[in-house]
Amino acid sequence: MSQESRVRVVTDSVSDIPPDIAKELGITIMPLYVRFGTEVYRDGVDLTTDEFYHKLIKSTTLPTTAAPSPGEFTQLYDELAEETDEILSIYLSSNYSATYEIALRGKEQMKHKDCRVEVIDSREAIMGLGLLVIEAAKAAKAGASLDELVTAVRAMIPKVHVCMCFDTLEYLRRGGRIGRAQSILGSILRVNPIVGIKDGETVPIGRERNRSKAIERLYRFASEFSSVSTEEKVVSLAVEHASTPEEAGRLVERLKPLFPSVPIYISRVGTVVGTHVGPHVIAVTVLEA
Amino acid sequence: MNKAGVCSGRELREMFEAATTWLEKSVPEIDAMNVFPVPDGDTGTNMLLTLRATLEEAYRAPDHSATGVAQAMTHGALMGARGNSGVILSQIFRGLAQGLHDSESFGGSEFALALSKGSDAAYKALTHPVEGTILTVIKEASRAAYAASLQNDDLEFILQTAVEAARDSVANTPSLLPVLREAGVVDAGGQGLYTILDGMLHYVKGDLERMEYLQPHIVASRELLQTNLPTLSAEDEEPYGYCTEFLIEGEELNLDKIRKRLKGKGQCLIVVGDEHLIHIHIHTLDPGAVLKYGSSQGILHGIKIDNMDDQHKEFRRSSQGKVSTAPIAVVTVASGKGITEVFRSLGAEVVPGGQTMNPSAVELLEVVERVPQDEVILLPNNKNIVPTAQQALGLTSKKVRVVATETVPQGIAALFALRYDDDLESNVSAMAEAISMITTVEVTRAVRTTQIGGVKVRKKQPIGLVDGRLAVAGDTTSQALQDVLRGMDLEGKEVLTIYYGNGIKETEAEEVTEQIRQSYPYLQVELVFGGQPHYHYVVAVE
Repeated sequence: MSQESRVRVVTDSVSDIPPDIAKELGITIMPLYVRFGTEVYRDGVDLTTDEFYHKLIKSTTLPTTAAPSPGEFTQLYDELAEETDEILSIYLSSNYSATYEIALRGKEQMKHKDCRVEVIDSREAIMGLGLLVIEAAKAAKAGASLDELVTAVRAMIPKVHVCMCFDTLEYLRRGGRIGRAQSILGSILRVNPIVGIKDGETVPIGRERNRSKAIERLYRFASEFSSVSTEEKVVSLAVEHASTPEEAGRLVERLKPLFPSVPIYISRVGTVVGTHVGPHVIAVTVLEA
Repeated sequence: MNKAGVCSGRELREMFEAATTWLEKSVPEIDAMNVFPVPDGDTGTNMLLTLRATLEEAYRAPDHSATGVAQAMTHGALMGARGNSGVILSQIFRGLAQGLHDSESFGGSEFALALSKGSDAAYKALTHPVEGTILTVIKEASRAAYAASLQNDDLEFILQTAVEAARDSVANTPSLLPVLREAGVVDAGGQGLYTILDGMLHYVKGDLERMEYLQPHIVASRELLQTNLPTLSAEDEEPYGYCTEFLIEGEELNLDKIRKRLKGKGQCLIVVGDEHLIHIHIHTLDPGAVLKYGSSQGILHGIKIDNMDDQHKEFRRSSQGKVSTAPIAVVTVASGKGITEVFRSLGAEVVPGGQTMNPSAVELLEVVERVPQDEVILLPNNKNIVPTAQQALGLTSKKVRVVATETVPQGIAALFALRYDDDLESNVSAMAEAISMITTVEVTRAVRTTQIGGVKVRKKQPIGLVDGRLAVAGDTTSQALQDVLRGMDLEGKEVLTIYYGNGIKETEAEEVTEQIRQSYPYLQVELVFGGQPHYHYVVAVE
């Protein structure tokens, strides 16, 4: 199993990597925090995704999110350093969270000075980060060195494309993570905004008049990467949802024939991102070869 | 606390306990003023949670010495730090612990020294310390405390001085950090720190009971709230130069000497480290000279030079987008208050005009020239304005395309088709396709008595048009609207948007909309105030 991999791969809970895949590939996931008032939960650990979305809809106080502390990173890195002397850690875009900066600080205070730790700002989030980490973990398992992994991950970052559709950008606006996508806010008409992640921040892609058209847009977004020889063009895909599994399932079924030999991961938008996007987000991520 | 103003470890803990209670009272206010570095409204909560973690650990201290407690607190803060402000706070505790080393208890001057160490540690913790934040507040408070400690060793006096300096410093943060000035708030982290120091002072004064019914003071911004005036162009300002950062590794490095030598070479100089390793950060016009000096002192590592003028241009380019971040501008023609608002809310520039008042090519041109984008799509929204728009193409050096929308719903559908990440030509064809998917229904009154395509109409009778062709004539506008929809094939349609015009009362429009909703339960039916002249109803069917 994962004992074979020399380099240990670490990411944060915003990567939305399905737990069984993380386990299979030996990926360590550092949880971020979600708070309702002063109740604090570790993302994906203390509160299940279903409980969270239930709470998000019911609760009158909006939750907020926070990065782990430097000490928590130090502890995690030192623990892993007992088993390995090379760690690759990849975190969500530093435009969204202080996680990356804090991990750097945590690394500095490690006891195991002999263990090399690389910390990468993925400039991505959700499965945009997740697909990078999955590929890195596969390569690590196959015996890639830390330097090779760092080079490979940096080369992959520009090849990840995320497209999400929302029922509202209100959660994103309130959380301060809206970035340049704020220009598609404030419409008088009912709008389903479509946004992407570019250069580490949220960017507008467009908008649709209703949800079915918005999901159609996600389908078109992914299908543009499909070609006759899809294997060469696309490494992997992900479809993720917050609380609409049937919708995500239908989208995956429609995408499968376009990408017959490409893995399509189905995943769930975690609680930290859920805090900022609301309960109705659905997203497609493509990792190009 | 004993009479000499000397504080034991237990009292140190109690002092921070009082500070925590005090901070807790203003958490909502502090959260609300959080705009920097990420406006996520959680600075107060983060600081409170960090303090709580700090205190929890303080109770696990191995002994009651000031040092023991301070070290336990440092550990607690480091492990429990939440968010940017929490991390900075944890560095302040670290400095405190260093400043109090090996003492059973401490007095005013030790406390002042500890505060200075805390300030240093906080600055060192950040690669890019930003002034106008909690950093400035800890720095100015610690400096004032130190100056006071030279006069008098009394803890209360020193703390009082520090609190006053912190309050002034918080009030001044908006003049140091533009994002605060624009939002009309003081720095949230700075306010939090001031509240913590103030809570400590209350404890030292023995004011614990009064704290229960008092509220912490929220510092007001000294700067007037800046309204949204257009941002001044930085073009004429002096260049920023290069952000230059590197490490010097060497023996017996002299921080002060290096700092002094580099001081004249640029702005924002930061020199931190010890005699073996120094981190330099400077904004300079001549990075070569700085590096040359650095290499004369030791071995250089991690050299990073960024052209800040490029970064600034980049920033301006992206902040320009606050109005409209689309790389392509859309200029459209519309009349009616509501319709104009709808177009604006979707990011289009609106030239007033329509059925009976066609704008001139020059009027269109003016707006095309005014938008910041070099690529523009024109949506005339009227058959008669299409030629004028075509004419405007030849009058500008910008890349302009006309998508020949003939109705307002077509214009709105075209705007929805705009893809921010696509180029001009693909957008033009996407818009043309979107127009073909939409049907426009209009209800107006006949201008004369006539018969067209088998429909007889009297002058001034309400009539319904589908894509400009006469479809029905009715007795009332509501009836004409319902009749025209009844005659259409709505199979496969999803959204119906009804814009009601100037002559229609809201209640009347709501009534007919409700009837339509009941007739077509599978449609998403939206009623929007259009305020357009001549047309009682304009409906987009898509």
